[in-house]
Formats: sequence, C-alpha cells, structure tokens
Amino acid sequence: MKQIIHLVVNKEAIEIGVEPWWTLLDVLRDQLELTGAKKGCDRGDCGACTVLLDGRPVVSCTTLAVQSNGHSITTIEGLLSGSQPHPLQQAFVDYGAVQCGFCTPGMVMSAVALLDENPHPTENEVRAAIQGNLCRCTGYSKIVEAILSLAKA
Amino acid sequence: MKKMTSVVGKRVPRVDALEKATGAAKYTADIHLPGMLFGKIKRSSYAHARIIHIDTSKAAQLPGVKAVLTWEDVPHTPHAGQPDPRASSLACDQYILAEKACFLGDGVAAVAAVSEDVAEDALDLITVDYEVLPAVFDAEQALQTGAPSIHGTDRNLVIPPVIIQSGDIELGFAEADFIFEGRYSTSRHVPAFMEPYVCVCRPEPGGKLTVWSSTQAPFMVRGSLSEVLGIPMNLIRVLSEHMGGGFGAKQDLYQLEYLTVLLAQRTARPVKMEYTRAETFVAGRSRHPVVVELKQGVKRDGTLTARQARFIANSGAYGSHGPGITWVGSQMLSSLHKCPNVQIEGLCVYTNAPIAGAFRGYGAPQAYFALETQMDEISEALGLDPIELRLRNQFQPGDIGPTGLPFESNQLAECLKRGAQLIGWQKRHPAGSTKEVLKRGIGVATELHAATAYPDTMEVASAVVVMNEDGTAQLRTGAADLGTGAKTVLAQIAAEELGLRYEDIRVIAGDTDIGPYDLGAYASRTTYIVGGAVLRAAAEVKKQVFARAAVKLAVSVEMLESDLGMVRVIDAPERVMSFRDVMKPVRGETPPIIMGHGIFAPPNDYSFAAQFVEVEVDTETGQTRLLQVVAVHDIGKAINPAGAEGQVEGGLHQGMGYALIEDMVVDPVTGKTLNANFVDYKLLTAQDMPEIKVDFIESGDSLGPFGAKGVAEDALCPTAPAVLNAIYNATGVRIKELPASAEKVLAAFQTREKEEISEPLLKGTFRDSNEIAN
Repeated sequence: MKQIIHLVVNKEAIEIGVEPWWTLLDVLRDQLELTGAKKGCDRGDCGACTVLLDGRPVVSCTTLAVQSNGHSITTIEGLLSGSQPHPLQQAFVDYGAVQCGFCTPGMVMSAVALLDENPHPTENEVRAAIQGNLCRCTGYSKIVEAILSLAKA
Repeated sequence: MKKMTSVVGKRVPRVDALEKATGAAKYTADIHLPGMLFGKIKRSSYAHARIIHIDTSKAAQLPGVKAVLTWEDVPHTPHAGQPDPRASSLACDQYILAEKACFLGDGVAAVAAVSEDVAEDALDLITVDYEVLPAVFDAEQALQTGAPSIHGTDRNLVIPPVIIQSGDIELGFAEADFIFEGRYSTSRHVPAFMEPYVCVCRPEPGGKLTVWSSTQAPFMVRGSLSEVLGIPMNLIRVLSEHMGGGFGAKQDLYQLEYLTVLLAQRTARPVKMEYTRAETFVAGRSRHPVVVELKQGVKRDGTLTARQARFIANSGAYGSHGPGITWVGSQMLSSLHKCPNVQIEGLCVYTNAPIAGAFRGYGAPQAYFALETQMDEISEALGLDPIELRLRNQFQPGDIGPTGLPFESNQLAECLKRGAQLIGWQKRHPAGSTKEVLKRGIGVATELHAATAYPDTMEVASAVVVMNEDGTAQLRTGAADLGTGAKTVLAQIAAEELGLRYEDIRVIAGDTDIGPYDLGAYASRTTYIVGGAVLRAAAEVKKQVFARAAVKLAVSVEMLESDLGMVRVIDAPERVMSFRDVMKPVRGETPPIIMGHGIFAPPNDYSFAAQFVEVEVDTETGQTRLLQVVAVHDIGKAINPAGAEGQVEGGLHQGMGYALIEDMVVDPVTGKTLNANFVDYKLLTAQDMPEIKVDFIESGDSLGPFGAKGVAEDALCPTAPAVLNAIYNATGVRIKELPASAEKVLAAFQTREKEEISEPLLKGTFRDSNEIAN
C-alpha cells in the first residue's frame, strides 16, 4: 500500500504517495520526471544515480523513497540558478570532462559534495571523492582536471 | 604551407556537453510516454537446451499483463543482427525467439505489463520444460570431434577458416636464425558502458513505428527491423539522440529491439524495455576470448623472416561480429611488423558461452597482445632494444597494409621516439634486475588500426548542409554520437570549410527520418569518412554562397574567401560582408535556397600508436600498480584536440583494465556467468588510474578531412601488451594470459624464483633454428 512521504526536492516541498519498495531514484525519475540521475546498475555500484540527501552524496538506487521522508534532496537539475549552470557543470563543459554523459550527473553531484565540505581538495582527495562514480569513457583525467580547476579558485 | 584553420584544431566545447552536464539531455531510458508498458525477457536457465513446452497461461492471467510472446508468436526469420549488406561474412543464425536456448541467459519469452514489477512477477509465472543438451564453453574443446553441435556446422565453426598467406612460410623459417613460439590467450572483456541496453517503441497511426534505441547504428536498427519483421522502412523511424556509450557492442541487434517492437504492435501501446546491469553483462556483447598460437622466425639482427599463427576466437552462442573480428584479427596478425612470409589461420567457433561481439579494437587487441608480447620476448632474447626491434621491422610508405591497401601515411617511428622521451626510456633497467620487493619496470607496445571497415565492408558516408536565411547553417547527418564527440567534430569541419563560426552550425543527428543514410558509428570511421562527406557538403554550399556574395560584392567568385562568418575579397579585405548579409533576401527576389550534399567513399587509411607504461609490481602480493602511461598517436590531425585526448584517455582506461583485472567469468560446468555486476567485474576507478600523457603526431597527410584519420579503437589496442611487457621488465616474469591478475603474477614470480636456481633466465623462451632442424 502506498505511503505518503514529504520531501524537499531542489528546494521545492513535495508530498507524494510511494510504495514501500520504491527507491528514491525511481521516484525522482518516474514520478517527479527528474531524469538527470541515471540508472546504471540499480544496486549502488556505479554511482550514476548519485544525489545529495541533506547535502551528503547518496546512491539513490539503494535509498528507499520512504527513507528519504522528511529530508532535503538535491539533484543535478537543482544545481542550476535559473538557466545559469553551476560552476562545476560549466567546468565539466570547459574541460571536456563530458563524453557519453551518462555518469556526468552523478559525478558532478559527488564533486559538489566534496567542494562543499572541502573547498581546496588535493588531486588525491578529488580522486577519492569520485571513486564510487564509474566512468567508462574518459579515463577520469578531464573530470579530475575540471574539479581541480574550481578547487584552486 | 598548410592553410591556417580557425575552428578545426581548436578545443571547442562539445555541442551537447551543457545539456548533459545539467541533466537535461534525454537518453532512451528517460523517455516516459502516456500509457507506456514495460517489457521484460524470460531467460534460459540452461546453457544449451531445447524447449519442449512453455506454459504462459498463468502469466497471461496476472492482472496488469498485456502480452506474452514465445517463439510460437513471433516471425521465425533467421537474422544476422545486422541488415544485409554489411560485412564481408555474416552468420545468419539468430531468431527473435527460438525453440532452442544456446547460452544460459538466452531469451525464451517476453512479456509486457503495466509496470516493471508486474512484468517481473509474470516472468516467474512462465514455466518452461527443457530437454537439456550437452554444452561446451571452450573454443578449442568445441572444435574437437564429438563436441556438442550448437548450430550444426562443421567443427562448430561460424564461418570457414580465414586463411591469409604471403611469401613462402617454409623458406621463411629456413632463413631464420631463431624461432620463437608461444601461446597467448585473452579474457572475456566487457565494454561495460554506463547505460544499459534500452529500447522504446511507440506505435503510430497508419502502422508507423517510432523506435528510440541506444544504438550506434540507427540505420542498421531500421534495416534489421524492416528485414526481419517485414515492415517497409518508410514506416520505421529510429531515434538515438543521446546514448551512454557503446564501444562497438551497441551495433548489432539480438532480441531487445525486435521484442520491444512486437510487444508494442501486439498491445497497440508504447513499450519500454530496459535491460538490468546483469542482463547487460550476460545478454550483451563481450570481446572475444581468443587463443593465439604464434610462431616467428627472426634473423640475428631482429629482422622477421616468417610468421605463422592460428587465431581461435570464442564467439559464444551466436555469430554476431565473430566473422568480422576473426577476419580483422587474422589480418592484423599478418601485419603490424613487416614480414615477407606469412601464414595465418583464423577460426571463429561457436560455444554455449554468452555472445561475443564487436568491442573497440575488433580482433586487433587480441592479435597485438600475442604479437607485441612475442616481440618483447624476441628483443629480450636477442639483446635488442624493443624500440629498435620494432624500427627494424617497420612498414615504409607504399607498403601494403593488412587489408590489402597501401599505407598512405605512417608516423610510427616518430611515435616511438617521442614516447621514449616522454616516459624516460633511458632510465629503464634490464628485466627483473632490481632486488627490491616493489619492482618497477617500463614496457612498450605499438599498434596500427584502420579508419573504416573498408574493404571488408564497402564503406560510404553522406551529409547534407543547409543554409538558414540568417547565415547560420544546419548539418544533417545520419551518424550516431555514442559519446565520442562526433557531432562536435562534424560541426567543426562544416564551420571550417564554410567559413562560419562553430556556434553557427546546428547539428541534427540520430534520426533516420532526417539524416541521410549512414552505416553507423564503428571502426573509428566517423571523423574520417562522415567528416569527409561533411567537408564535401559544406564545399558545395560554400560555392553557392560565394556565387551570391560575388554578385553583392561585384567581384568574381575566385576572388572570395570566408572565415568565421564573413566573406571577403582576398586582396581587398575591407570589401567584406557577413554570411547574414549574403543570405539576406532582396525585396522582390525569391529567398535563396542553398543546400549541399556530400558523399565520401575513400579507401582505408591507418592510424599508428606507441604506448609506454611504467608499473610497480609488489612481488609479495603480485599486485601491479600503474605509475604512468604515455600514449603517442599518429592520427593525422586532431580536429578537436580535447576530444581526441579524451578518446585516448578512455581507451587507456579500458586497456589497462583489460591488462590487469577485467574478465567476465563463465562457469566451465554450467555456463553461468559468475560476475555480472560492477562489484565482481571491476573497472578501474579514478584512484587506480596512473598519470597519463597523451601526445599526437599530426602530419595531416591522410585522405580524411584536414588530414584526419581514426583514433577511437587505436587507443586500447596496444595497452595490454605494454602493461604486461612492463610487468616483465619489472619482475622478469612473462604473463601470456590476460588479465595479469595479482594471483597469476604472484604464482609466476614464485615459479620463476624456483627455476632461476637451476636454469639460466632465457632458456625456454626461444630455440635456435639449427637445433630444431636437428
């Protein structure tokens, strides 16, 4: 039976009925039409579904929607200010860090969480922060460069 | 002197980067349609089994289930996964659903239901009675007399043996001072793109179908659906705007697209079918596990005199790209180094393992693993520098390449020279000579790769460029962009040739109703061949724009040039007009209609690369740490250097994983895939990657646009042998079986330490030909 949960998604208060087995990722993608977070494995291994839950990165495919009740969620779509991209989104564009783009939303969210907590990370800290986000296109080089470009600023 | 370029050669941002970075880009799985149903496939629990009976009655009665299909409900048309005509050899051995399962995971039934949950429940309610048949998983065993017959072919061969011969092999071995022999085997490497297989089909009025598919080859999807389902092409529209990687594997069809379309037709509702990650592993395509038996004769100075090889590819349950990769693998075995006497046999073998298919490199990585490992053995045994050995056996311009065409350009020597400087080759010490527990070593390997599949596939590409009335332009292409940046590169080529700015070009791609026909994004071909078509379409448009500008500027056409959106008189740069003003209609005149079509069907051209790897091997654990990689590639011209670097960096990631950890393991008794997830099939993470230096040799003397050749596949072709040669240099231990896991390295190191006490280091790695003659 569906349960009503309350979420703040990208600063907007939302009330929604969910089945107890639905994941946060499925609710975001299928119910709220926020398809930026991707389903790459559906078991928490690849990181493509990473969103922020109260500012901390979580893999939304292994987070139940009911567990998110009462919490604040930020998705890749929530990083924009109007039509203005977040500096990290712009850095990914500028440094050629996007290829197929399927890992990009999760990768950006992990990087946002890192820089919020540690504004001046070392290269090793950047690599550690995204080690749960798999990328098959880039070899991570340009992703690391993009994140470090803001770390130095 | 070459003309300066304004857009080509620049690090422009990708045309689709911002929409991807903001989450706005819609991938196939992001499509939600009103009334959409969800499809799922019931998969065989046995590796080889005949279906006696399928009972779908309970599944069909489950509330929410809208359709159930078994082999009795679908067209029984054999297909090759690709439409005809395509490759030089095809195995037409697959059915949408068959009476027989040929691997554990083969689809035997499909359902459509109102949700994925209901569809999954329905799968559990389908009962299948099987007659279990004997199965075989190893290619060499499948070749034996008495092995289970999978498709009723001689020795389970997918195609007759591929034979490549030149010179006189007996004479070649007779001329040799030394003969080297070895057996090299490779793993089941999985493309592991981040986006699982997915397809959506919406039936439209009048029998039309719109199909969204994560495919590298939208026109092949259209062609295959048309051929197998008997639907005219004008009723099928295939869309693939954004896709989450493919690396070759997403270019043939097996069951997904057909079943999605059939379920949509049956229910008259849109249907989405999304593979899980486990299904993407098991029912997707892997690189072919290959055994190469290689025997070479060399002179004392390192000159090759003879090369004999056998390439045995495990195709798995169906042919898929097995015929193609067996041809390419055999061709590449006959090439890379110049050798006058060659005899190669390529065997492509059915087994009951999951299906192998196209994956970046397409037979070449397996061939080069054998060749470049043995070259390292030869240089060690003869006391020759590995770079010098390769230079002594390198091709010269005009020599014939592996596909029978001459090399147009070859900068391999320069790649080797520059790479050696960048890695610090001079600091390399003799193999296994250090005493520390953590041993460092440097290895090198080289490659060459064609920029299209010509002449195995008769290649052609086309493009249409249309001027807008404000002086901006549209580029319409049938090419797919699987994440490589193809659309960006094509826009750069169009802008450069026209003399427009990059941002003035709108690229329209991934829609079979709009783009002109294209074979697909494979074989490192898009920049080279589609780029060539774009260049010609843009030149055609430029001619028409100049004709109009000549009238407005009152000069002759020959006196005009254009750059960054302006048309000007060559010797009088103050006489200038924007494209906007050139195109602007004059009152009383019909608006100008300017469009151009380009077709390009070039012969092949080859890219070359030398990759250098430095590793540190822990001789107490067998663990290899990657320290640095240098990749120097002769790609003719980098149209977008950032994109080209990205291709190489990504290829290195896949190649280093292939070298050290990646292998999809199939149980040798049951045929069950044991590691169909990202915990048990590991990819290198950001923390595992070494420092990477990528450099390009841009001689620009290719037939491609602005001298460009291919880049994508080259990037991983030499990586694994370079890593394993580095492990040898560090430890003195030679691994000839991929991946070089910690267990293998440790076991080999321990064995070698024991042997070293009784035998000299080099014994057993080569034999003097005189000894053999005796």
